[in-house]
Amino acid sequence: MSDTVIVTRGLVKEYGRTRALDGLDLEVRSGEVFGFIGPNGAGKSTTIRVLLDLLRPTAGEARVFGVTPAAGGPALRARIGYLPGELALGGRVSAGEHLHHLASLRGGRGRDAIDTLAERFRLDLARPVRALSKGNKQKVGVIQAFMHEPDLLVLDEPTSGLDPLLQHEFMALVREASARGATVFMSSHVLREVETVADRVAVIRDGTTVDVDSVTGLRRRAGQRVSLRFAEPPDADTAAAIEGVEQVRLDDHTLTCLLHGEPDELLKWAARGRVLSWSARDRDLEDLFLDVYRNRGRNGAEAEHDAR
Amino acid sequence: MRAEGAASFARVWADHRRGLPGWGAALAGITLMYLAFWPMMGADMQAMLDGLPEALIRALGYDRIGTAAGYLEAVIYGLLGPVLLLVYGIGLGGRVIAGQEEDGTLELDLAAPVGRARLYWQRLAAVWTLITALVAITTLAVLVSGPLFGLGVPTVNVLAASLAMWLLVGGFTTIALAVGAATGRRGIGVAAAAGLATLAYVFRSVADAVGVDVLATLSPFAWMLASEPLVNGFDAFGAAKLGLLSVVAAPLGAWRFARRDLMV
Ligand SMILES: Nc1ncnc2c1ncn2[C@@H]1O[C@H](COP(=O)(O)OP(=O)(O)OP(=O)(O)O)[C@@H](O)[C@H]1O
Ligand SMILES: [Mg+2]
Repeated sequence: MSDTVIVTRGLVKEYGRTRALDGLDLEVRSGEVFGFIGPNGAGKSTTIRVLLDLLRPTAGEARVFGVTPAAGGPALRARIGYLPGELALGGRVSAGEHLHHLASLRGGRGRDAIDTLAERFRLDLARPVRALSKGNKQKVGVIQAFMHEPDLLVLDEPTSGLDPLLQHEFMALVREASARGATVFMSSHVLREVETVADRVAVIRDGTTVDVDSVTGLRRRAGQRVSLRFAEPPDADTAAAIEGVEQVRLDDHTLTCLLHGEPDELLKWAARGRVLSWSARDRDLEDLFLDVYRNRGRNGAEAEHDAR
Repeated sequence: MRAEGAASFARVWADHRRGLPGWGAALAGITLMYLAFWPMMGADMQAMLDGLPEALIRALGYDRIGTAAGYLEAVIYGLLGPVLLLVYGIGLGGRVIAGQEEDGTLELDLAAPVGRARLYWQRLAAVWTLITALVAITTLAVLVSGPLFGLGVPTVNVLAASLAMWLLVGGFTTIALAVGAATGRRGIGVAAAAGLATLAYVFRSVADAVGVDVLATLSPFAWMLASEPLVNGFDAFGAAKLGLLSVVAAPLGAWRFARRDLMV
């Protein structure tokens, strides 16, 4: 078996005149937990719906377990657990009946896991689905995605609507699935939601992949926030000249900067003066993404400007 | 058959079976109520009809209202039965695929390991089952009314008219479901079916009133009633034409449904 589970090459999807995906390239390896991050309207749900064969590509191709979603058909979808981004539940049935219905669409697979999972997520199976709160609906969504122990989980913003406790429980479920060898593909707006479980992350924007890296790689690139307080005001210019040091700010006796890579040079420079206190903390990965998000805004503004 | 065999069928049934008693009671109640008037008709009715323009009487199908079969046709098979059943059937047909696709409640079913054709045909079959139940209840109410109110229309003729009504209602219901599934828009499915049904009704009324045969040829209501099934029994040719509505619409809807983008 090939060791990539999801591959897209130059994937394009247009809704009428809207180009939602603009040549998306993606590769998800077997057994990894893959985070799929992007701002609103980036094309996350569109990509996911192509993988489930709800949408057919305008151009380019997507393959899941080596076949296109259309060619894979029901046999392919039997290997996938899917949690939609905007889960709508309706009809005159209880949560339990609904889950049993979904299990019977899978030939009964997953039926035995319903009770255990419902207990784990504290979902009352007797309640009518249409009367469930948003969070409780999301629990139904999570349960139906995991119950048949699929080889691939495709989760579109899975933790939305879940309280912190259940988010924790959900992450545990993802880890268990990963531990038994399943591949997990999950989308989110924010890295924070996936960084604890994801091995690798792709960032998409306007329908194209703008960045793919491991979470550790991203963290390294994100750098550290360093703060040094001196007895005498230091020479900020020499600090700014050090390799890997950026965004130097001097505030009276305190120098703050962003550091990438080894701290050796910076420490040696600091040791020339008298350091009263210091701190270095990993930069929040979210900051890195805010850069990416803002870039979009800037590019958008430029485009508008050019058009005039 | 595999284990997932009839899950889509069963789900539509589970979602809609609770509506059956209400609709069934309404149809049976209205049938019994109107047929209960039959013994009181006689002279009063004729006097009232004498005051109306002849064309209007024919358009309403009241020209034979003085006979039991004519009365039964005018109030039940020519009007209330089909109209109520069409309201139910077209609404349901639009709902079970396009409607649920639009409100998102079908997404998990569509992402399940079930082919689109399978889902389509099972949902269509479930809708037919529901209409069949209501047509059966209506028929039963007519058959019970017969001896109760001295209608005297032969059972076999009642069954013939009911069969035609079943095919007619099923046909427009199938159109609602098929057009909805083809377009992904409940509104389009319902509008297409309701529009065609209305046109069919108007065509027959106009054809009856002023004798334009072309309109009658085009109207499924005429296919159902022109041969006077309550007097003459089964009309195989009429039934075939009525059946054709479903036989044409259903596969076209399935074909398009399997090929288009869903949930857009
Ligand atoms: N049915 C549709 N018709 C037209 N345009 C659509 C449709 N669905 C999505 N789009 C557009 O396609 C683009 C991508 O949408 P998509 O839903 O894939 O984004 P997303 O990354 O999932 O966003 P979010 O984080 O808000 O869920 C957006 O510009 C959106 O407006
Ligand atoms: Mg989305």
